[in-house]
Amino acid sequence: MRLPDYFLADLPPEAALTPALVTDACLALKANRQLYLAERSSAELVGVLSALAQNWLDPTDSFRRLALEADPAATGFPPEVLAAGLDAFFEALSSEALEALILQDLGQLAQLDRLTPVELPGLSPRLAMARGPALLVHVAAGNLPAPALSSLVLGLLVRSAQFMKCASGSSLLPRLFAHSLHEVEPKLGACLEIAEWPGGTAALDGALLAQADCVTATGEDATLSALRAQLPVGVRFLSYGHRVSFGYVAQESLNPHGLPKTVAAAAQDVVAWNQRGCLSPQVFYVETGGRNSPEQFAQALATELEACERTQPRGPVSLEAAAAIATRRTFYEVRAAHSCDTCLWSSPGSTAWTVVYENEPRFMPSCANRFIYVKAVPDLEHALKGAEAIQAIVTTVGLAAQGQKAQELAWRLARWGVPRICPLGRMQKPPLTWRHDGRPSLGDLVTWSDWER
Amino acid sequence: MADNQPRILGMLNKNRMHHCTRPFDDFAARLQRGCLDTFSGGSVPQEVTACLEGEGRFSELALELFELQFGHVAPYRRISEARDLTPSRVRSWRELPAVPTTAFKTIEFTSLPPALRTTIFQSSGSTQQRPSRHIHNAASLALYECALRAWFAVHLLPETSTAGAAARPSSPRLRFLALTPEPRAVPHSSLVHMFATVMREWGSPASSFLGRVDAHRTWRLETERALESLAAAAGAAEPVCVLGTAFGLVQLLEALDQVAGRIQLAPGSRVLETGGYKGRSRALPRAELYAWIGRALGVPPSHIVSEYGMCELSSQAYDLVISKDLRHPEPDSATRPPSGRQFRFPPWARALVISPETGREVGVGEAGLLRVVDLANVWSVLAVQTEDLVRRQAQGFEYLSRAQASEWRGCSWMSP
Repeated sequence: MRLPDYFLADLPPEAALTPALVTDACLALKANRQLYLAERSSAELVGVLSALAQNWLDPTDSFRRLALEADPAATGFPPEVLAAGLDAFFEALSSEALEALILQDLGQLAQLDRLTPVELPGLSPRLAMARGPALLVHVAAGNLPAPALSSLVLGLLVRSAQFMKCASGSSLLPRLFAHSLHEVEPKLGACLEIAEWPGGTAALDGALLAQADCVTATGEDATLSALRAQLPVGVRFLSYGHRVSFGYVAQESLNPHGLPKTVAAAAQDVVAWNQRGCLSPQVFYVETGGRNSPEQFAQALATELEACERTQPRGPVSLEAAAAIATRRTFYEVRAAHSCDTCLWSSPGSTAWTVVYENEPRFMPSCANRFIYVKAVPDLEHALKGAEAIQAIVTTVGLAAQGQKAQELAWRLARWGVPRICPLGRMQKPPLTWRHDGRPSLGDLVTWSDWER
Repeated sequence: MADNQPRILGMLNKNRMHHCTRPFDDFAARLQRGCLDTFSGGSVPQEVTACLEGEGRFSELALELFELQFGHVAPYRRISEARDLTPSRVRSWRELPAVPTTAFKTIEFTSLPPALRTTIFQSSGSTQQRPSRHIHNAASLALYECALRAWFAVHLLPETSTAGAAARPSSPRLRFLALTPEPRAVPHSSLVHMFATVMREWGSPASSFLGRVDAHRTWRLETERALESLAAAAGAAEPVCVLGTAFGLVQLLEALDQVAGRIQLAPGSRVLETGGYKGRSRALPRAELYAWIGRALGVPPSHIVSEYGMCELSSQAYDLVISKDLRHPEPDSATRPPSGRQFRFPPWARALVISPETGREVGVGEAGLLRVVDLANVWSVLAVQTEDLVRRQAQGFEYLSRAQASEWRGCSWMSP
């Protein structure tokens, strides 16, 4: 099925974009926002978005089917992995969650609708209202669709016209989402633009950024610096650079009763989005001293990943990605042949999954696509010491621990600076209220008007 | 990683095998007598090609050497056993267990006892990384030199083949200008050792090394001296052979651009380019580099040869045989980009292109990781798994890129 040409990304590849076309699109978006979006209420928008999420969760939904039946090369994922990722994303997009997000970030549900009394003890009477930017520009990296969709949801909530510029070859899912919105509310669809062009196309970037009131960007740190340098002073820039995540498994979670559950949760975190996102674990730190050893955990994880290959196969990866995995495997194979502190398990005849066990706590960045390190540590302090080099860029720690011990570990991780601590198995399923890299996602988009009475 | 390194090496020491070089020396002598020596004339004699090109003879020699190395190079034995690829199980040279180049950074793969070791070749690269090491003694170095001379002459010195074997030991005839530091400054560079070897064999007294090592241990071209030497050769209408890394060549061409100059080298001049850029200079597509060399030095692509080599190997691959007719062709064909070239190893070394996904050999036209089985790697390990992505071609391979491993190298986990 061919989608109608609502968005620039719908145009055939031979239709060349020009700076003038981009400028025109931005101006039209701003005009449409005034007409169709600026005066909508939060309640209405919450209703539209949560209904849209329900559509996407319906297996017969035409847009969901288009996504799942698309060439995996266009989405980046085989259908089983994509379906699981889309389910996790849209399940989190309920009306309760949307309202909770507004409450959490802005204080009151009506805060985006009108001047609302702010009552705090010791504060003189005041009314306040939050407004979103007129034109919100998103520069989306291509690795995962969820952050891009999430950005569009937040922009709608704050009544912004939005222009999403996708990396080459990665616009399909944002496009399908925009079309699905267009179908239920064409006027809201008219406040969105999705386009795709190669990074660093200066003329197009320039035309777009000149119209922006606020820019969000995900991607490599170098890309973000380059973008920041191009922005006019006064345009807010929300950048989400390179981040990493790891898991921590307390020894109590390794008892014979708990081990299968812990291992299944760990495998889910590795399998989700094929381990390609910032929230995906690259290393599992596993405590020694339990009923099962970290090495036994690693072996069980390997078995579990092999089982996942039948339900959610990883699918093909690029030659370069396969070469990175193969190259690393051969290295650990050599190391394992010479030291009992290293062990390697890997999918036979393919690069589908790899588990490297090391009795050495230094954090190792994975090469993704289901390549995971398991590292034995006596306690959390050793893990944190091993992860010192990445302390500033950790975004999530998945934790397998119970009761009082879980509390102590979470407290220590929070003090160390981890922005998000979640149960193992949920690392790639952040709630809508997730503070992106520790910042309020919705709160960072708005500007306030205060009336001091 | 630093703290568990000694543990690994410690384990090796405990299990160190008895060093024994005699059977290796015998193998090398047979290889040299049987194939390498017959190359002295700069062309591949029919009998050598015939003897090694069939699967049988090459496999026989490879399996014999594998058995020797399995018996005497302890870490190779361990790797082979871990993969269940022991001499009794391996049936063909294609099945030989290959050692990844990264392993040469932390493990010594050699059958040479410490007392006999004379030279260690190391990989270049950033100073934070531990280099790969290939340990040599007098005999292995002699074999290395013999192997490199033979295949170098085939590709770069068509004169030697017309002269025939009688030309050896050859009289000085060609002015070599190497854009690298001299061997004394970089004793661990196998590349510079190679340049010195060909200069010793075929160089005129005016041959020289034109680089130096700076305070950061980076190779720099002495641009003034380089330009003077090239101009002098051009003035004397004497053909030269420029030997350099792509990085060194770019430095030379930039220096020439800065003085807005151009040096028309004499007909018969040629360029050997090797080694990539390693992030030290702006990387240029090869066609662009060749066109630049043409504009600045007057050497057409038909006289620019690319070399693929590494310190872990004893043999090199080249992508072009310079024509026996040394006159530079007309400008039109001279500006043609170097497409469709294939790297080829000598008959005593073979390339396999392995699918990183399946671990099996890919078909012609498909891309994968390059694995080399080099019979001249007598005292170390003959099968080496590189990190280079190449495309398999009917006669050899085309280089694509280095497998992306930068991010894990970036965290310097190998550093001592």
